[in-house]
Amino acid sequence: MSMTDDRLTEDLAEGRPADTAPLSAGYMTWYRFSRNPAAVIGALIVISTILCAIFAPLIAPYPDHIGTVVDFRSRHLPPDAEHWMGTDKAGRDIFSRTVFGFRVSLLLVVGVLGISVPVGSLLGMTAGYFGGWTERLITGFTDVMLAIPPLVMALAIGNVLEPTLVNAMIAVTLLWWTWHARLIYRVTSQIMAEDYVEAARLAGASHWHILLREILPNCVSVISVKTTLDAAFVILFGATLSFLGFGVRPPTPDLGSMVADGRQFLPEMWWEVLAPGFAIFYATLGFNLLGDGLRDMFDVEA
Amino acid sequence: MPLLDVQDLNIRFTGYGRTAHVLRDVSFSVGRGERVALIGETGSGKSITAKAILGTLPNNASTRGGIRYDGLDVMAMAPRERDRLKGTAFSIIMQDPLSSFNPVFRIGRHLDDILYYADRRQGRVSGAQDRKARILEVLRRVQLSDPERVYGAWPFELSGGMRQRVLIALALLHHPAILIADEPGTALDVTTQDEILRLINRLVAEEGLSLLMITHNLGVVRQTADTVLVMQHGRIVERGPLSQVFEAPEEAYTKSLMEAVPPLYGPRVTDQPVSTQAPIITMTGVDKVYGSGSMLRRGAGHRAVTDVGLTVREGEIFGLAGESGSGKTTVARMLMGLLEPTSGTIEADRGGPRRLTQIVYQNPGTSLNPKRTAAQTLAVPLAHVGLKGAQARARMTELMSLVKLPESFLGKYPHELSGGQKQRVAIARALAAEPRVLILDEPTSALDVSVQKTVIDLLLQLREDLGLTYVIISHDLSLMRNFCSRLAIMRQGEIIEDGTPAEIFAAPRHPYTRALIAAIPVLTDAEEALKPEITDAERHRFLVTSDTDTNEEGHDHVSTGH
Repeated sequence: MSMTDDRLTEDLAEGRPADTAPLSAGYMTWYRFSRNPAAVIGALIVISTILCAIFAPLIAPYPDHIGTVVDFRSRHLPPDAEHWMGTDKAGRDIFSRTVFGFRVSLLLVVGVLGISVPVGSLLGMTAGYFGGWTERLITGFTDVMLAIPPLVMALAIGNVLEPTLVNAMIAVTLLWWTWHARLIYRVTSQIMAEDYVEAARLAGASHWHILLREILPNCVSVISVKTTLDAAFVILFGATLSFLGFGVRPPTPDLGSMVADGRQFLPEMWWEVLAPGFAIFYATLGFNLLGDGLRDMFDVEA
Repeated sequence: MPLLDVQDLNIRFTGYGRTAHVLRDVSFSVGRGERVALIGETGSGKSITAKAILGTLPNNASTRGGIRYDGLDVMAMAPRERDRLKGTAFSIIMQDPLSSFNPVFRIGRHLDDILYYADRRQGRVSGAQDRKARILEVLRRVQLSDPERVYGAWPFELSGGMRQRVLIALALLHHPAILIADEPGTALDVTTQDEILRLINRLVAEEGLSLLMITHNLGVVRQTADTVLVMQHGRIVERGPLSQVFEAPEEAYTKSLMEAVPPLYGPRVTDQPVSTQAPIITMTGVDKVYGSGSMLRRGAGHRAVTDVGLTVREGEIFGLAGESGSGKTTVARMLMGLLEPTSGTIEADRGGPRRLTQIVYQNPGTSLNPKRTAAQTLAVPLAHVGLKGAQARARMTELMSLVKLPESFLGKYPHELSGGQKQRVAIARALAAEPRVLILDEPTSALDVSVQKTVIDLLLQLREDLGLTYVIISHDLSLMRNFCSRLAIMRQGEIIEDGTPAEIFAAPRHPYTRALIAAIPVLTDAEEALKPEITDAERHRFLVTSDTDTNEEGHDHVSTGH
């Protein structure tokens, strides 16, 4: 697929036949994306997830059920017109709690990736650009950090400090940057071989200019693909942590802890696990599809 | 009846929501034993034509028209039937010997796979021993003198020339009737390319093959074709016997192509004036050894440059010529101060805080940042020389007019520009830093011939207007003959000959120089006759470097130039 694309791009870019002007790269990129159904579906899922999180109070039929509401008369109700996905052991509307659950998941994504992506990318670029001792130090440290299992790290930090969302986020962030550092280090090393980096240096550009203006823009596509795919992992990881009890404090709704709560009542009250479980699946699938779509669109490895 | 007959071939590509008509009413035929050349520049449709004949067009191509092989309508055949023609009817010699092999398989495996599946397609059962015997036989035919060793070798163990020979062997495995050669040897040095062309010619003559040669190099065409087809924008614009097209071209496009090829000898040759001004860079007794930096392995490094001394005078165009690995790039990088010599001295008349030198790279595709517009690219050196805001903007406009590009191109990204336009932006960037010496690293080798000429003309104009000094590194001696005011020829890290181009070409002293000049494909018999004589012994000594390329080389020098 991509080979024929290149062929055609080349043909069109060389101005042949004379009546067709070259297509802009942006248009061709968008064309590749829009012709990929999986990518478009992924994008729609991700957008719907984000909208759910932002407008949760407007979407949820029982916004107050995210608090300490207890209504024993309506506990363990199966799905019906009033409670679309049933109620839990405290009689709270599961659909409302699931909608709010997206907030915690996405907050975790933004928190973890918001810190680890810039840090990792910057370290990777620095290592690839300066080489020598800087490179050895950064790649060595990255390799050491990569050897620590993230779940163990998160559990350890949760035990030493407090098992809260913020601490879980810190634990994940402490390890997550390594993947970005590695990836961007590799990409930067490749870019360093391009003549334009040397040309910029000969033209008198500073290190900062070369790193941020010459190299970084060429990493953006790789970073965005990797970040999108990572978002899915972070959601899963966050759900795992709160399933194990190292996440959000009750009664704040969180997809992982909702699954953990509902698990006690399986298989009779299957809806209590189904809704949050499906929500995790939905968000993860969305980010994965979008990430794969972006990868095809930018034609990069990440 | 011709062996291959192409009638009104039309090909369209569909993609990104539109259709490009890339081949328009192409008709030609190749007779038995005939050698036909398709000449054209990038995007003229010559490779697409070959793919259409082979049936290897991508899925988004739609084809109309007729292709007949030996009277059979190829287009009407079932895919399976058509597949059977591959290798037996047509065979293609692949273009790039360096990337056509899978590095994890031995050479023999590549050949054996092709033979095995081709045999199966033809419903023939063959044993491993039988196949190996046939492969060794073919390897012998492409003049690889130790076929057993080549059979068991890994791709990286063979030189570029040897790998190209193996690719030819691949094409010959099934005794094809028509050999299609897509730019054979272009990725190789000129002397190796010369050997490959001789080999193809010999095979075609001895085995009675037909040849469809696809190339942009007119000199190659003169050596390997009887009939010439000139393609432009998907059409054949001129056709005829070689002598007619080359001696009396009718189309303006053909004429411009011929004129764009720099001549080696004759009245069209230009001599650049020799500069008598003060030296600007002087190198004395410079050695460069790579990998000798560590104390433990001192002396064990790779010796790239040995005892090089040269003087670049203000206002001259100094040429460093040589094949790949000759050390010319290392010398240029030392001139720029990017590399320190291991021993010897380099004196430069710096006279100011600015860089004395700037460089124009070979491939504008990689020397311009794809994510930055022309204006952003130019802003960097301008900021360095202290120009900001409106001043920088004014200077950008000035630079664009210097390199003869419209001002509106400042807002364009590299992918929106053609190869020649990109190279002009790269030249503008080099000029923006206000250097006194411009290093030109094969500045035209990635460009089409007609574009090459315009870029060279631009460089000459700029030198005159701005009083620049050029150092050009290239393997293209015909370009250097006309562009340089002084020339040094490098081989294996040493300068073996230097002087003005006129002196060197009139009476080359070193046998290697003679061999280099003799290997350059030229356009006319008159030029061919003026090339220096070279004996077989000299050819052996200086051209055939790989240990297996020996034995049969001696007696094939008669096959060119008819």
